[in-house]
Amino acid sequence: MKPTVEQIGNLLALKRNERPEEGYWQDFLCEFHHQQREQAVKQSGLKAFFGRISEWFSNLESSKWAYGAGLAYASVAAYALLSPPDPGKQSIPVTPVNYQVVPAPAATPVEQLNQLDLSPSTQGSAGEQVF
Amino acid sequence: MVRGPCKLLPLLTPPILMFRQPRPPDPDQDLVTRAQQGDTRAFDALILKYGDKLYGLVYNMTSHKEDTHDLLQEIFARSYQSLGKFRGNSTFYTWIYQIATNLTLNFLKKRKRRAGLSLNDMESSVQQDPALIDTTHEANPEKQTNLNELQLKLNEAMMKLSEPHRMVVTMFDIQGMSHGDIAKVLQTSEGTIRSRLHYAHLQLQSALQDSWEERF
Repeated sequence: MKPTVEQIGNLLALKRNERPEEGYWQDFLCEFHHQQREQAVKQSGLKAFFGRISEWFSNLESSKWAYGAGLAYASVAAYALLSPPDPGKQSIPVTPVNYQVVPAPAATPVEQLNQLDLSPSTQGSAGEQVF
Repeated sequence: MVRGPCKLLPLLTPPILMFRQPRPPDPDQDLVTRAQQGDTRAFDALILKYGDKLYGLVYNMTSHKEDTHDLLQEIFARSYQSLGKFRGNSTFYTWIYQIATNLTLNFLKKRKRRAGLSLNDMESSVQQDPALIDTTHEANPEKQTNLNELQLKLNEAMMKLSEPHRMVVTMFDIQGMSHGDIAKVLQTSEGTIRSRLHYAHLQLQSALQDSWEERF
């Protein structure tokens, strides 16, 4: 057997009595005012800072455009210098190549012929053809 | 010549009924105006006036006391900051309810994405919460036990509803708001509210079926 919609409604209506505990709203209001004050102080600090800057800037007459241009140039330059390099453009680290020179093995001395002997009975010690 | 009943009779109703009736004045107009002029006590009075109702709305949606407290702080802070933009196109009650429902639904979406609080955690917190247990039947302990168990089942079933359905059930069945008021707050049609309510009641009926058979 299912409960009827009315019965469910009655059961849900019991939850109307749910209330926060005694004194909850007093504490809630204290916290609320505290947070609002903190936020107001933060906002007024920022407001005062920007207000002073704008006041100083408005006091400058024609030179303010030069100051403005200089400030813009300085901020662009500072950004270019201080911004982290693009990781895609980083140069590949160079690893030193081992250029160790290995001396060649000592060559066997070639026997030089002092004079050419073309006689058929002669056999040279350098392996020349024997006739 | 005798004429039959005029079928066009509804069109001949007095023209005044064809226009929208003027909206009744906002009962909070005075407090709102004073708060807009910087009177913090007037805004405190508005917090105290609607605090309990909004607490019930948010708590039944989140089932979490700390979340409810933080959300209420955010709701009232947001409405205090935006009070200057309130032009009185709706009553203050509808306006602050709109802020509350939007912030609560956004919060629930974010909480769903976080892995921190699972449905089981919520259920256990609901079961252990004395605020959810009705104390009007303390004279009859057996009846009270049955009722408590049913209420716990009901809380579990409520938490299984989708947020828009739970919101409508909370506003209609728990807070006793009319279909029209809920439609204004949620900025939708009364038909949509009725449809959501019907679907949610069916879900709750099915969820409570077993417990109901055991008890009665």
